[in-house]
Amino acid sequence: MKQYAGKPFALIGVHGLDYQPAKLKQVMEKEKLNWRSFADHRTISLKWAARSTPMYYVIDHKGVIRHKWVGYPGAKIIDTALENLIHEAERQNSPK
Amino acid sequence: MGLVLSLVVSGACLSPAVAQDRVQEFKALQKEFQAASYLNFHPTNDTDRKEAAERVDKVASKCLEFAEKNPDEPIALDAMVDVVTQEYWLDNHTTYTGHGKHDRQAKAIALILRHHLQSDKLVDVCKRVQFGFRQECETFLRTVLEKNPHREVQGNACLRLAQFLVSRLDRLDMIAGQPDLAGRYELLYGKDYIERLRRQDRAEVIKEAEIFYERAAEKYADVKMPYGDLIGEQAKTELYELRYLAIGKQAPEIEGEDQDAKTVKLSAYLGKVVLLYFWSEF
Repeated sequence: MKQYAGKPFALIGVHGLDYQPAKLKQVMEKEKLNWRSFADHRTISLKWAARSTPMYYVIDHKGVIRHKWVGYPGAKIIDTALENLIHEAERQNSPK
Repeated sequence: MGLVLSLVVSGACLSPAVAQDRVQEFKALQKEFQAASYLNFHPTNDTDRKEAAERVDKVASKCLEFAEKNPDEPIALDAMVDVVTQEYWLDNHTTYTGHGKHDRQAKAIALILRHHLQSDKLVDVCKRVQFGFRQECETFLRTVLEKNPHREVQGNACLRLAQFLVSRLDRLDMIAGQPDLAGRYELLYGKDYIERLRRQDRAEVIKEAEIFYERAAEKYADVKMPYGDLIGEQAKTELYELRYLAIGKQAPEIEGEDQDAKTVKLSAYLGKVVLLYFWSEF
């Protein structure tokens, strides 16, 4: 996700197994995942990913759900969606 | 003599020897499906994948033939359910473009509706057709919900019908962003399918899905799904998703602990684009 450094963007994971934060930290360090993740006790996933995982949501800078995918849609699809919304956010965050 | 013979052949009661042969024949078909799908479980190369697909394809035709021979038998119902499952397997595990054009699944579903509509063994079929691409899958769920006498079957049909409607809308969203996928669907399921996807009236479909979710939550709350989860809980959760987690909705707040045990709120990210992913490791 290097290409988004310095952009108005955040990647957040929700790990649905019943992990305590310390255990999640261990797993994420082992897998070299360097972003923030919720250590979920099923409560978040139960609502947001009721049907299956992996599940992806893209939320715009105003907090509106703009895309969602059940199952991995492929890097190209995700990147295109993110780039468009990041442009939108940058345009609106810096009015002329 | 001809009359007597045809009665024997078409009736559900076969002579014990013939019945025993049928059981053996069906067992062999099931074994072959198992072996073929197992080959694809850890495929080492494309040849394995191709072989698995070809074998499942053949088994599906044989199972259908088997079921058509004496469709009223209980074992024929098992074979029909297997055809539905095998077609579903082919959808999911192969890019083999021929199978979508066969109407084996449609035929199997029609046979179930004609010969086994009153059966108490339709819960698994309801689950299988939930992600189906064919019009017959929807027809199946609607007919079973209306006419099957067993509460367990009705409850499952009701929930699956709501899910079927929602996942068809999901597909519309998916092809909107992926022309490649639209092309693949068209190749597999024909122009009609794509047109049907595009003709959906979003508001109407959501309204109808909500009605079935609500009915499942109210009338069939205590009915079990195949893995033991309760219909009521599942319906309520998915209704929440449909109402509050749909595209265009303001994302509800999430509050939880991160890997450093710090409290995090989703709303803290307002002003940024957020990619939120959900993962459960198995």
